[in-house]
Amino acid sequence: MAEKVGCFICTGCSIGDALDVDKLIEAANETSPAVVKTHPALCQDEGLAIINSEIESNALEAISIAACSGRDKTAAFSALPNVFVERASLREGVVWTHEAGDEDTQMLGEDVVRMSLGKLKFASLPQAQPVEVNNRVMVIGGGVSGMSAALGAASVGKKVLLVEKEATLGGFAQHLHKIYPKDLALEAYPEPDVAGLIDQVGAEDNITVYTGAEVGRIEGAPAQFDVTINQGAEKINSLIDSVVLAAGWQPYDATKLEHLGYGKSPDVVTNVDFEKLVKENDGQIKRPSDGKSVESVLFVQCAGSRDDDHLPYCSNVCCAASLKQASYVKEHNPEAAAYIVYKDIRATGHYEEVYKRVQQLGTVFIKGEIESIEPNGDKGAVIEATDTLMNEQVFIEADMVVLATGMVPTTLDTDVLNLTYRLGPELPEREYGFPNSHFVCFPYETQRTGIYAAGAVRMPMDLASCVDDGTGAATKAVQAIDLISEGKATLPRVGDFSIPDFALQRCTQCKRCTEECPFGALDEDEKGTPKPNPTRCRRCGVCMGACPERIVTFDNYNVQMLSQAVKSVFVPDEFEEKPRVLAFACENDAVAAMDMAAHNGLKLNPFVRIIPMRCLGSFNIVWVADALSNGIDGIMLMGCKFGDDYQCHFIKGSELANTRMGNVQDTLDRLMLESERLRLEQVSITDYDKLPKIFDDFLEKLDELGPNPYKE
Amino acid sequence: MNTSSHSSVLVVGGGMAGVTAAVESAELGREVFLLEKTPSLGGRVSGMRHYFPKLCPPYCGLEINYRRIKENPRITTLTSAEVTHIEGTAGDYKVTVKIAPRFVKENLCDPITPFAELDATVKDPFNYGMCNKKAVQVPHELAFPYAPVVDPTALNDATTKAAIESLPGVDLKQEPKEMTLKVGSIIWATGWAPYDAGKVSYLKYDQYPDVIANVEMERLAATNGPTGGKLVRPSDGRETKRVAFVQCAGSRDDNHLPYCSAVCCMASLKQATYVREAYEDAEVWVFYIDIRANRYESFYRRLQDDEKIHFVKGKPGNIEQDASTGDLIVLCEDGEGGSISRVAVDLVVLATGMVPETAVNKVPFDGLTYDEFGFLVADPQKAAIFPAGCVKRPQDVAASVQDATGTSLKATRS
Amino acid sequence: MSDPKVPIPELGDLVVQTGGDTLYKCMQCGLCVASCPWRLVEGEISEEFNVRKVQHMAQLGVEGYESDNVLFACTTCGLCKVRCPRTSNVIDNQRILRAMIAEAGSVPPVYRGVIASLRDNGNPWQGEREERMNWTAEIDVPKFDEDTEYLLYVCCTSCYDQRCTEIAQALVSVLKKAGVSFGIIGEEESCCGESIRKIGAEDTFQTLAAKNIELFNDRGVKKIITTSPHCLFTLRHEYAELGAEYDVVHYTQFLATLIEEGKIKIDKDLGKKVIFHDPCYLGRHNEVYEAPRQVLDAMPGIERVEMTRFEVESICCGGGGGRIWTETDPGARFGDIRIRDAMAKEADVVATACPYCTIMLDASNITEGKEDLAIKDIVEILDQLI
Repeated sequence: MAEKVGCFICTGCSIGDALDVDKLIEAANETSPAVVKTHPALCQDEGLAIINSEIESNALEAISIAACSGRDKTAAFSALPNVFVERASLREGVVWTHEAGDEDTQMLGEDVVRMSLGKLKFASLPQAQPVEVNNRVMVIGGGVSGMSAALGAASVGKKVLLVEKEATLGGFAQHLHKIYPKDLALEAYPEPDVAGLIDQVGAEDNITVYTGAEVGRIEGAPAQFDVTINQGAEKINSLIDSVVLAAGWQPYDATKLEHLGYGKSPDVVTNVDFEKLVKENDGQIKRPSDGKSVESVLFVQCAGSRDDDHLPYCSNVCCAASLKQASYVKEHNPEAAAYIVYKDIRATGHYEEVYKRVQQLGTVFIKGEIESIEPNGDKGAVIEATDTLMNEQVFIEADMVVLATGMVPTTLDTDVLNLTYRLGPELPEREYGFPNSHFVCFPYETQRTGIYAAGAVRMPMDLASCVDDGTGAATKAVQAIDLISEGKATLPRVGDFSIPDFALQRCTQCKRCTEECPFGALDEDEKGTPKPNPTRCRRCGVCMGACPERIVTFDNYNVQMLSQAVKSVFVPDEFEEKPRVLAFACENDAVAAMDMAAHNGLKLNPFVRIIPMRCLGSFNIVWVADALSNGIDGIMLMGCKFGDDYQCHFIKGSELANTRMGNVQDTLDRLMLESERLRLEQVSITDYDKLPKIFDDFLEKLDELGPNPYKE
Repeated sequence: MNTSSHSSVLVVGGGMAGVTAAVESAELGREVFLLEKTPSLGGRVSGMRHYFPKLCPPYCGLEINYRRIKENPRITTLTSAEVTHIEGTAGDYKVTVKIAPRFVKENLCDPITPFAELDATVKDPFNYGMCNKKAVQVPHELAFPYAPVVDPTALNDATTKAAIESLPGVDLKQEPKEMTLKVGSIIWATGWAPYDAGKVSYLKYDQYPDVIANVEMERLAATNGPTGGKLVRPSDGRETKRVAFVQCAGSRDDNHLPYCSAVCCMASLKQATYVREAYEDAEVWVFYIDIRANRYESFYRRLQDDEKIHFVKGKPGNIEQDASTGDLIVLCEDGEGGSISRVAVDLVVLATGMVPETAVNKVPFDGLTYDEFGFLVADPQKAAIFPAGCVKRPQDVAASVQDATGTSLKATRS
Repeated sequence: MSDPKVPIPELGDLVVQTGGDTLYKCMQCGLCVASCPWRLVEGEISEEFNVRKVQHMAQLGVEGYESDNVLFACTTCGLCKVRCPRTSNVIDNQRILRAMIAEAGSVPPVYRGVIASLRDNGNPWQGEREERMNWTAEIDVPKFDEDTEYLLYVCCTSCYDQRCTEIAQALVSVLKKAGVSFGIIGEEESCCGESIRKIGAEDTFQTLAAKNIELFNDRGVKKIITTSPHCLFTLRHEYAELGAEYDVVHYTQFLATLIEEGKIKIDKDLGKKVIFHDPCYLGRHNEVYEAPRQVLDAMPGIERVEMTRFEVESICCGGGGGRIWTETDPGARFGDIRIRDAMAKEADVVATACPYCTIMLDASNITEGKEDLAIKDIVEILDQLI
């Protein structure tokens, strides 16, 4: 709660020309702030000096800067000491998007000032709450991804617990005959030296390796994870801060591929089997059925991948793997025939060079579909395939068939993390068992703070990418420790000190917050009372929006602040025919879009008042009551697209808001209040050109409905 | 961990990889200098309408990253800046940086109004020259810094120069500045340029204005593009209801770019959705060798299920304009049907590939390794200069970000 | 669908071993098919001929390309070869496949007479060896001896084809006026073997080449001027592979140099609009694009225009790859496209620099052209002006 507040109104950038500044000052003075000042350029040295001196002389705790958008001049205004700063957008939000000198523009400007000051009443500057950390990362999986992650974290001084299920480090890569044959090697994809990585891990004092071990349980929260590692009969307990999940992949179960001849003949093998077979014989390829030196091998691409009956996705690496294995065949015997039956050769990027070189070895590529693969008596196989590029059937007898089976994340049907989170023991999935961290811009935007997936468990990838990905996940695991130790949030609100406070004495155990938190931050006691874990929290405010009792509060963002902003809007009586709309808008996208509308000189409806939100998921339905009782005619929620391709960086903020709004609409209908007074729009950051119409359409609808009957 | 003279990191290139490397390095506790050659951060992605596969706008993620930059005092952003010289060794590099003047007064409060009255325009490089922009303006809607700049090409004309000079916010007396940075490691993320599609002569990029490159298609579809996001053909404004996408326009071609550019298949599939979304009856043809939708198979599947999108396995050998209809006729064999198709379309989009910036502009430091195509190869034994993003290999945004995130840790330890 | 095809890997390997070593580079993109001039005409061949498919069948080692239209339609124009993203030498691959067919004794009947004529008389035109120099009957042509600098190697077509003898005669006239030290050997010369090799008669080619090489070496030939770009290709590249390296130029290159050095004075005014047709073997196969244009541009009063497709994109006349000896249905002749293009550009003269092109374009000019459109070899035009 801020007792001493100030208001600084900038008159530069046409604000002073377009608005009656005296009346803005009057509006500000309605709440009797300690200071109200104007200046023609608050962002410049002189303006900042005035703000600073007023803060000091009046011991201000919170101030409103009514000037440009909060997205501009951040460097200037964020340097203000020890004071809560609210930015009221007069420039973009009022004068650049509305007619200068107009009565409605003036009323908007005054409301913008009032709303910002209203918020200040309940705002305070959050204080950093440092957390004692252990500087320990646990990496699960000792393959290339995991070892890369471990070495990465260790290199900056973190202690690492590297947990490997098998008896040795190395993961899948150690079973390869060759990572890559020399004449196929590409500089752009530096292939890891697995033995070298194992040596490096062994030589690194900061890494403790647990082989033959699995994670029994992870309790607690980042910086306070209490983990149990089961190594044989032994249970090792340790306190760690963050986790890299690099549990790798499993080959797709080939026994489901009987239609491709698997199981019918010992000479039909998977690419994994083939790799082992070549390795065991040191490059010589012997037919499993009789040990004959093979003279022909047929590779079947997408064996169970890109197939709705099996794995619908593409496993990304099988094309390159088969190209490599075809080169084994030619190396074993240049006269031997190698056939590759494929849908598309996905030799992406520099792998095109590999494709080219393997072509040059005389490999035969058949684009088409396998019709049948049957044992050729008791040895080898006969293959019938459609060759779509010839539009003919082909009939091939081969000594061996290699099925390029795809990659399944180890976590698909095995619990690896064993978290004791209320929302489940593993990372939430996006599709096919891969964890939900597939944002384009933020591949490590995990739904479980402090736990980062890397390597093939995250998505199918080649070994060069596993090194990068392991290192990338280590980056995030290290950052999580450092940020949390300072009391800061991780992505996307990096550096935010605020932490939600739960007034649990008022909790009714409705469990909405614990169910809805996208990050599983809240556990529950037996009664269903939430048990907050601040270090898991990402500060989106979904819990605050969920709570019907309004017990969740951030110092700098809370229900009361926004309620007060809602109540601060001056609502003219119905005879003035000046409807009022509140638009609760996602600050990252919708608010930015409004700034872009302003920069493009678009005019927005002057009856709309914008309330920026951390995330639409923090929308609390109490504000609907606040708004309607204040005579507001309509409420709009502006958030990100939801659904399968959701764009919300807090996963499902707008979707939750939509659900809540639906519930309120039911209530409104029961109260004979038109539910159309509430509307949710999915607005992306580049939809700025659509904003004028979005607002006007809503106002038109409200005009049809007539004024809010609760209007005074 | 390096404890010698400098632990700060220089990131060269302010595109997605560079911005990521900068914020990730800073959040690892390092002092970071982020250098960008053009007047604003954002790079190639800021010119794109959507990312695949989510079809979300790049500005959204950039906004988050820009906020990370704004709120992190450890990052110093230098735009219009280029590295001219590097000397030293890992942990102790001396980097000479040249900063071109913006010709706009510093700390200018209002980035728009002072230039609103200016009529002079220049070709807009942000829109690949498809339209003009004001000679003084903020480069685009999500430019960072959100600050105007005088386009130096406008100063070649005396009248225009005088008009610009008379504007209150302009200061043409500004000189280029040179500065020296001392850093411990360098992340090189100067990105890529589209291959010159005109070099693939039979695809007629230089001949017909309605044969465009994929990067131009992004602008054509963008809200802040030359047509305000309306998909119409550049020559006559006709609605592009029939569009052909020609894959590997220069890529996978030993006469041009021998490698696969890794993103063009998905870029075209994504752009096919722009066309289908714009006009209900729109029809799309994708001419391809292999559809490399590796990590985004379900996206491809969704498009395959659309009966208005045709996938033709073949590489077109000619494009001619029908003089009477103005249609472009794309000649291609359908390798899977064996027939020859001559498809009449309104617009042809060439999926031109990626040329790493380092194929043209090398790092001004001797002894680094480049592969045969000009991609920069990481070699920590030689120098603490690390490639990230598309100077390292052709990769999509998600992979570039992944790469840049890991690279920031590698740069931290050296 | 017919019975399944059964690949025989050895077949593909054989192609590779006998000269088709870029066969497996092909990734089946189909650019060759879309680039092929057969796509510009209609008819049976256009429908049946598919280079990509031929290459794929060869890679697989399956049969099915024995039909004349499948394997012998290619004019070896080389457009697919220069464009091929994998730089697969489509022409060589075709040649090797044809050779395999020839080996099996399945040469199309039309070529049997040609091969016999080459075997018996050293030329493909059914002319007696003794008649090879008939074109010199009314002019004085120097004989090549040890003091002669250049061998003028006259294409069989210019020796035996009535129309094309004029080209050789014009060239002799020009070279003499320019005071060049040149000469011909005479009847002992044999066909270079370019086109017969392309149809797969490898033995015939080897015999011809051996004869010529022996002859040239015996006479001390070091530098050669050819009248035909086909001879240029073979003497320069294929003989070199057989170990016989000569300094070979096409006459247009030679004349361009003479003009540049001021050794040819052109005094008459042409006063005509000339369009140049790039012969495939001069252009794509030998990358000579500038020289013929330089010669033309040196002519006073010339208005030179370009075809819609020119230089590397030029369209074949239809005479390469052995097609000069086969009959092509009207409507499926590439030469027609060139004549129509020349007329659309309102040219008076189509200039070219290859006897095959002259023959093919002449034929098309009869059906497609107008009366006053002339088909001329560059040297014929030049000779009139000096």
